[in-house]
Amino acid sequence: MKIVVAVKQVPEREAALRVTPDGRGIDESDVEWTMNEPDAYALEEALQLKQRAADAGLGEAEVVVLCAGPERVQSTLREALAKGADRALHVVTPESGEGSLAERGSLDVARLLAEAVKGEQPELVLTGLQSDDLGAGQTGVVMAELLGVPHATLVLQVEFAGQGGGGRRIKVRRELEDGWTQFVEMPLPALLTIQSGGNRLRYATLMGIKRARQKEMRELSAAAPAQRVDEVVRVSPPLRVKQTEMLTGAAEEIAAKLVERLRFEVKVL
Amino acid sequence: MTVAGMLAGMVGASRNLQLAEPAKFGLGERVLLAALMLGSAGLFAWRGAPIALAIWGSKKDEDLRLRPLGRRLWRFFWEVLCQAKVIRQRRLPGLAHALVYWGFLAFALVTMNDLAEGFGCDFLGHAGAFGTFYEAFAGVWALLVALAIAGLFARRFLVRPKWLGEVSPESGVIALLIFALMATYLAMLVVKQHSPAAAYLWWAHTLVLLTFLPIIPGTKHLHLLLSPLTVFLKRPEFSQLPKLEGDEDFGLVAGKDLTRIIALQAYSCVECGRCTEHCPAAATGKVLNPKEVVLGVKTFLNVHGPGSDAPLLQDGPEGGQRALSMQAAFACTTCGSCEYQCPVGVQHLPVLIGLRRGAVNTGAWEDRYGTKLFLNLEKQGNSLGMGAAERDKFIARQGFPLFDGSQEYCLWLGCMGSYDPKGREIAADFARVMQALGTSFGVLKKESCTGDPARRLGNDLLFGELAEQGLKNFAAAGVKKIVTICPHCVRTIAGDWREYGVAPEIEHHSEFMARHAPLLESLMTGEQGGSIVYHDPCYLGRYREVYDPPREVVAMAGELVEAERHRERSFCCGAGGGLAFLGEEAGERVSHGRVRELINTGAKTIGTACPFCNSMFRDALGQVGGAAPPQLLDIAQLVARRLPVLAMVSGEPRS
Repeated sequence: MKIVVAVKQVPEREAALRVTPDGRGIDESDVEWTMNEPDAYALEEALQLKQRAADAGLGEAEVVVLCAGPERVQSTLREALAKGADRALHVVTPESGEGSLAERGSLDVARLLAEAVKGEQPELVLTGLQSDDLGAGQTGVVMAELLGVPHATLVLQVEFAGQGGGGRRIKVRRELEDGWTQFVEMPLPALLTIQSGGNRLRYATLMGIKRARQKEMRELSAAAPAQRVDEVVRVSPPLRVKQTEMLTGAAEEIAAKLVERLRFEVKVL
Repeated sequence: MTVAGMLAGMVGASRNLQLAEPAKFGLGERVLLAALMLGSAGLFAWRGAPIALAIWGSKKDEDLRLRPLGRRLWRFFWEVLCQAKVIRQRRLPGLAHALVYWGFLAFALVTMNDLAEGFGCDFLGHAGAFGTFYEAFAGVWALLVALAIAGLFARRFLVRPKWLGEVSPESGVIALLIFALMATYLAMLVVKQHSPAAAYLWWAHTLVLLTFLPIIPGTKHLHLLLSPLTVFLKRPEFSQLPKLEGDEDFGLVAGKDLTRIIALQAYSCVECGRCTEHCPAAATGKVLNPKEVVLGVKTFLNVHGPGSDAPLLQDGPEGGQRALSMQAAFACTTCGSCEYQCPVGVQHLPVLIGLRRGAVNTGAWEDRYGTKLFLNLEKQGNSLGMGAAERDKFIARQGFPLFDGSQEYCLWLGCMGSYDPKGREIAADFARVMQALGTSFGVLKKESCTGDPARRLGNDLLFGELAEQGLKNFAAAGVKKIVTICPHCVRTIAGDWREYGVAPEIEHHSEFMARHAPLLESLMTGEQGGSIVYHDPCYLGRYREVYDPPREVVAMAGELVEAERHRERSFCCGAGGGLAFLGEEAGERVSHGRVRELINTGAKTIGTACPFCNSMFRDALGQVGGAAPPQLLDIAQLVARRLPVLAMVSGEPRS
């Protein structure tokens, strides 16, 4: 069994982001990068599936981690290898200018990734449900369309569900709203977008890092040209909309004012 | 008795006493003696060889250097020859042991001469002045040793202190043999020269000696031969962790990772139980028993031999060695009492942390809280998992100047000083003290954890990344001198970071304030604050031997009171070794026991010098402090509350 995990490298949560002079992008010169959190959970689920497959006597599963981007993304791929992925695929895009990630939208990136996935013929493709930086939530589902496989979104857990309809089946638990979850059974091959928090992430180990050096990292060229269908007009930091108002008076008065606000302005009571 | 008096007494005695010699031996007796000596030595070698092979066959300690030779020689003199540690930590039995030891040293010459005499050679000059004197001198020692060993025998078999564990019959046999050696010698001093009695006594004495020798290997009495070497060779620093070498070294994973020093120390263990007696984990019902860990290593080597691939840690019911379990290794607060107490040079911390390194570096340790801590350190760069913006806001609120290279000191806040509410108060109060002194300082715009919890929990990858990052940050900011409120940060930066580079000079705020004591006192106003019991943090006391400066600071603020266990015997708060971040403790909480001890002094205030101790006691006082718990303040706060209030002068305007 083969599982491909598509991950994205995003700026660190604490990174100070500056808008480029042209106002259409982020200045990446002193940004520190990390693995997109939902993708980290997708990787964790893949590694646990590998273990579950071995425990259930379903044979040795291979976890292949995939990322598109310039050279910097190799640190994220190495991290994935250190945590236990078996090998890595790096779809190389230029640092900047034509063909770079900045010039590509979700559809474009999904094309690059889908192309790489086709070469692997995996039974399962996992990826985070959205990215921490852009948060479009498109790449996974578009990839599924491009690959022609069924998909499920907002998945928390994956189980093997035996054979049926000419192949292996899985049962997934999806997160719905208001604390509800839904179980869906589906055939393989399939693509799942993974929600954060379904598992406990593992920590990186020294042994993992040392073993990762010996693991294969294959570079693929980004064959498909950038064909952006949308356009970035302007990038700006979010406007501060939070307002703080101090309620004064005796405790009872404050409580009364607070209830009034919560009931009629915030409308949560 | 004075030394001069003793000597005079011995010279006097030597006139009346002379060691009775047996009549000269014939060939038959000489052959018998030679055969017995060979037999004894052969048996000794046969029993000792596997141990020698287990030690020598273990992994070479790549980082072992004889330097600093001076310190090693001093330690040998003080701890071995003077028996200082043995006596200091257990006065009466320690002194009895020292008497036996010194007696043995005095006896070496007599014993050699005794054996040589069997073959008709008397190099000591039996009838000469020196020989006569020396034999009487040894006689005095024989008396002292006989008394001391009888006392120790009574302690072990009648008093039975629990730290000695199961009383072994073998130590009874050894005590009897030693007593017999001394008794026969003393008897030889009173019987007639060349009498048959002299011959019987000589044979009895010699046979006891030849029986004693082969018993030594394979029992804890091996310490007699090994511990002088162990004390001389032990790693120079406290809790010194060896650097991991090469691509396959992850700490103590399998038998082959045990080094010669570890093996030597394990075989030197005399099973006195001081380590366990002082262990906060063992005292509060955790699985960890440091003595059993050391003996576990010894048993492991006896069973598997050196260089084995068998895993060291065995958890679960089938594991025959519960002593070497993951549960035990991760119950250690790294307070270092065990290592500090050990009289034979065993260093427990590199073993306990080594086992953790093996478990964490290979990913074998799975712990919800531990993983969360590591991920917090990986992603947020601090142990509390807070966003860096929270620190920025705190700095701005306090008006702390940013370090720009022009100030004398970099005030290192640490995770507690940056994010913990009480830690922040301590940092702010210490900043006020510095400001009152007119010392220029600034804080770094960005700090990440020194890696202390990662280091103690055995995560070398994370620790290395944080250490490298930290060194880079200090270099970039041009920091020359650092001062901080956290002893863990001091130890980690000054000690553990050395593996990665040279850090700027760092000191703890207790040392800084003690140095400025006269000026501080001149600035103080108001009344002294009543009685204050000072709690020695492990990482300031045992780790750095800073005991007096914080006491000087406390004495400025009020009347210093000592807890029952203080200075080098201080009892841990339970936070160290990363345990502050792990889940609930099994058994009683370490902090509860300690805080009760501090309350029992009757002091009005508990003075701490470490934000982690402070945090642990804050919780413990809430639980077991009763209706009117003592006040809990850091020594910086004790000083600050007696200083006039000044507004913080910010280095630069901040939004």
